[in-house]
Amino acid sequence: MGLRLKIEGNESISLSETSITKVKFGADIPHDSNARSTDLGSTVLITGKILAAVDGEAADDTSKIARWSLVPAENSDCYRKVQIDVVNASQIVRQISIPNAFVVDYEEDFTDETGAGTFNLLIKQKKDKMTGLKFEGGFSGE
Amino acid sequence: MGFKLKVEGPSTIELGTTIVTGVKFRTDIPKDSNARSTDMGSTVTITGKILTAVDGDPFDSTRQLGLWALVPAEKSDCYRKVSVEVIAASQVVRKYTYPNAFVVDYKEDYGDVEGVGTFTLIIKQKKDKMAQVAVEGGYSVS
Repeated sequence: MGLRLKIEGNESISLSETSITKVKFGADIPHDSNARSTDLGSTVLITGKILAAVDGEAADDTSKIARWSLVPAENSDCYRKVQIDVVNASQIVRQISIPNAFVVDYEEDFTDETGAGTFNLLIKQKKDKMTGLKFEGGFSGE
Repeated sequence: MGFKLKVEGPSTIELGTTIVTGVKFRTDIPKDSNARSTDMGSTVTITGKILTAVDGDPFDSTRQLGLWALVPAEKSDCYRKVSVEVIAASQVVRKYTYPNAFVVDYKEDYGDVEGVGTFTLIIKQKKDKMAQVAVEGGYSVS
């Protein structure tokens, strides 16, 4: 499956299927609810590679994600629009749009045994804006 | 991937690619936040080898890291300026700069089956000085 990530805010971040390795989508609802709870949130975990640029090409946008994770809450730029595409066999299996996403966890990992680093980005939609989240898919496109 | 660690305080500690084996960077944000939280911190974990000097080489400065970890909080020397570079294919993939870093954990590990020891250093930026943390990357090694 090809996974693509696009983040739009003060700057635009775009990572393609060569960088993103995993996407995990979750709806957060209290497990102990006896009836449908209004306490609804959504968390997305994105895992990918941090690649070194070769042949004079531009560096990947992962360092912009690291800087996004450090934007203080006082700055409106800490909320950004995130779009995740899951592409397979010329079909968009999922297109998840998170219009007011903020970072709850960000991690980068490098070792001397691998040529590429890895990153883990955990984002949530602002909880009072849950209706803005779009969960689409099942149409053709590439 | 290669790593360079530089700690600047009363004395400068420099550890190069032969010593440092791994770097982990993390932005710490409360995971249960419903919107972007002002409670934000940043942690870097550095792992490496403790080498024995041979052929009259000078000793590596890992011992200085141990001494830094033991500096009491009453001394201003416990905060030091740390920069970590991740280098691959003549590119600086990341450069983290923590101007007011302090040690939260330091471990050294030795066994009778290895010829080298290992160390793990966990540092944090002073939380009220988070704005000074810099994450750069994606440029050629000068």
